[in-house]
Amino acid sequence: MTRLRVTDRTTGEPLDELEPAAEGTARPASRGERPIVIRAAPGPGARGRIPFEVVVGGWRFELEVEDAERAELRQRATAGRAAVLHDGPTEVRAIIPGRVVSVAVAAGDAVAIGQRLLAVEAMKMENELRAPRDGTIERVAVSIGQTVELGDPLVVIR
Amino acid sequence: MTASAPPFRRVLVANRGEIAVRIIRACHEMNMEAVAVYSDVDADAMHVRLADLAVRLGPAPPAESYLRIDAIVAAARTTGADAIHPGYGFLSERAVFARAVEAAGLVFIGPPASVIDALGDKLHARRTAASVGVDAVPGTLEAVPVDRPDEVAAIVAEAERIGFPLLVKAAAGGGGRGMRRVVRAADLPAALAAGSAEAASAFGDGAVYLEREIRPARHIEVQLLGDTAGTIVAIGERDCSIQRRHQKLVEEAPAPGLAVQERRRLHELAVRVATAAGLRNAATAEFLRAPDGTFFFLEVNTRLQVEHGVTELVSGLDIVAEQFRLAAGEPLSDAALAAGERAADPDGHAIEVRLAAEDPARDFAPGPGRIRQWVMPGGPGVRVDSAFAADERVPPDYDNLVAKIMVHAPNRDAAIDRLRRALDETEIAGIQTTLPFHRFVARHEGFRAGDVSIDWVAERWDGPGDRARFLAAAGGAARAAAEPIVSVIGAGGVPARDVPAGGPGAVATNVSARSAWGTAARDDATDRWPR
Repeated sequence: MTRLRVTDRTTGEPLDELEPAAEGTARPASRGERPIVIRAAPGPGARGRIPFEVVVGGWRFELEVEDAERAELRQRATAGRAAVLHDGPTEVRAIIPGRVVSVAVAAGDAVAIGQRLLAVEAMKMENELRAPRDGTIERVAVSIGQTVELGDPLVVIR
Repeated sequence: MTASAPPFRRVLVANRGEIAVRIIRACHEMNMEAVAVYSDVDADAMHVRLADLAVRLGPAPPAESYLRIDAIVAAARTTGADAIHPGYGFLSERAVFARAVEAAGLVFIGPPASVIDALGDKLHARRTAASVGVDAVPGTLEAVPVDRPDEVAAIVAEAERIGFPLLVKAAAGGGGRGMRRVVRAADLPAALAAGSAEAASAFGDGAVYLEREIRPARHIEVQLLGDTAGTIVAIGERDCSIQRRHQKLVEEAPAPGLAVQERRRLHELAVRVATAAGLRNAATAEFLRAPDGTFFFLEVNTRLQVEHGVTELVSGLDIVAEQFRLAAGEPLSDAALAAGERAADPDGHAIEVRLAAEDPARDFAPGPGRIRQWVMPGGPGVRVDSAFAADERVPPDYDNLVAKIMVHAPNRDAAIDRLRRALDETEIAGIQTTLPFHRFVARHEGFRAGDVSIDWVAERWDGPGDRARFLAAAGGAARAAAEPIVSVIGAGGVPARDVPAGGPGAVATNVSARSAWGTAARDDATDRWPR
């Protein structure tokens, strides 16, 4: 049987500890814990990787399954690229569509990891965006009151 | 027996989502026609489908659609509606809207504009309570003069008298906006400035006041109905202590652990405040209950509450139908008066959970998206109020409530068992919801013991930990589902669109096999769960 690897698409982390009974045979799930498995649309360049949405216990997971050997090769290639890009600028993008209600930084500001950058309001709630790493603000791409869509660049940290 | 004449002929429902659906259902049961209004993203929404007529208001942003007083009043006039029900949220507590409706010769389903105005100002509400001997949460009854540097010493002295920790709250506030918790006197001036600025930007009114922090507290509120003759009855109380960010997650009626005479006393306090305020139609008086059992008045919401359903279940009353009759000038119905008599000893126990499109592992961050699978519970004693179905999109523009799941049983223990059963039947995919949290509550011994407070979520809920318990099972299910696909196409190939998903132990809805492959992919790009 082919060796398969399951990866959490949200974190990129491989899941090594799978419940043994889950492989191959059906397992009678307890009430409310029957997994819902839905094939998801593959992302760009996802050749060979099969994406799933799995909901179990009410929790939604975005997972993908691929041949384990392929996964290892791909991971080595990605690690090399990440090392090259490490010193490059980091774009902070909108994680939710909404309206910018506050901006706490300006170009040139030094920021520390976890520092508040700006807040986006959606569905009656304010969502704070924080710096993913230390650095200097290269650019603030939005202003207060502006409506942003999911994935829009907000701040660039150098 | 013949059906009584409908109070109105045609009603415009100035709202969307589950509450618009709830009101339209009441209209139809009372033989009234319902007019829906909608924004562009809601053109095919359930409230539009159920209504007899529908009028487009404008684009998705609320300011260009559901908050447009002119467009809503015009829609009512062109469709020949004789009344407007505002639901909750949006324009429901805007006195200017109630006035515009009345000026157009239509009936506003709710308290009079003057009462909305007066009670919308929390300081005014606190003074009204004080005037009839009902204790509000200890604090100031006038706005704090934040712009007077010469008053700082006096403000600090007042704060010391109230006692720390205290809360800076917005007079025009709601939902925690403009609120600041202050532990030390030294932090007070900055908290006042920040709270006032936030209140000014959120409500156009920077007035703030001080209130002692009651902790641990329970949030208990009283459902009120009043007629034009000035008779006001309390229909019962609800405990809404389980909250996050000042937004309720679980509500139940009656409040657990209260003696009948304690309930009566609370209902009497609420009726006293409402009578002093000249309340009509439906409203809710909110109180905090301190650990020693003291009730402190908080505020009055002059509208239908999200959680009105639990009171309906234990009182047998249709609160929305009562609203219509009261707005038409009828006196309180015999049913309402009887429910008032029984309010301290209601029929069984009801619990509601608010299923919201939020991630309970990430501090309840909201997340819109497309619903891929949607199975709601049923069976004895279960009521679901929702406006969603499978394949519909939860838009990012509005409130993230997707369903209210309510249960009713002869007693609280049986209601909790029924809730657990109902939540185990519930299946939602495509969006993350608060379902795991609600399942946790339904199984929690402390909740069953009635040990609730407004700090319950922060003290007991470990979202990431709960989620992690299911990761391995999810991975196993994904791998099992992938096996047959890999065996067909080979390990290195691209999954073919007609290969069925699913596998041993998995239930599969093969989204990719649908003809709208391109659409699904595009949706996936726009509806991705926020990272």
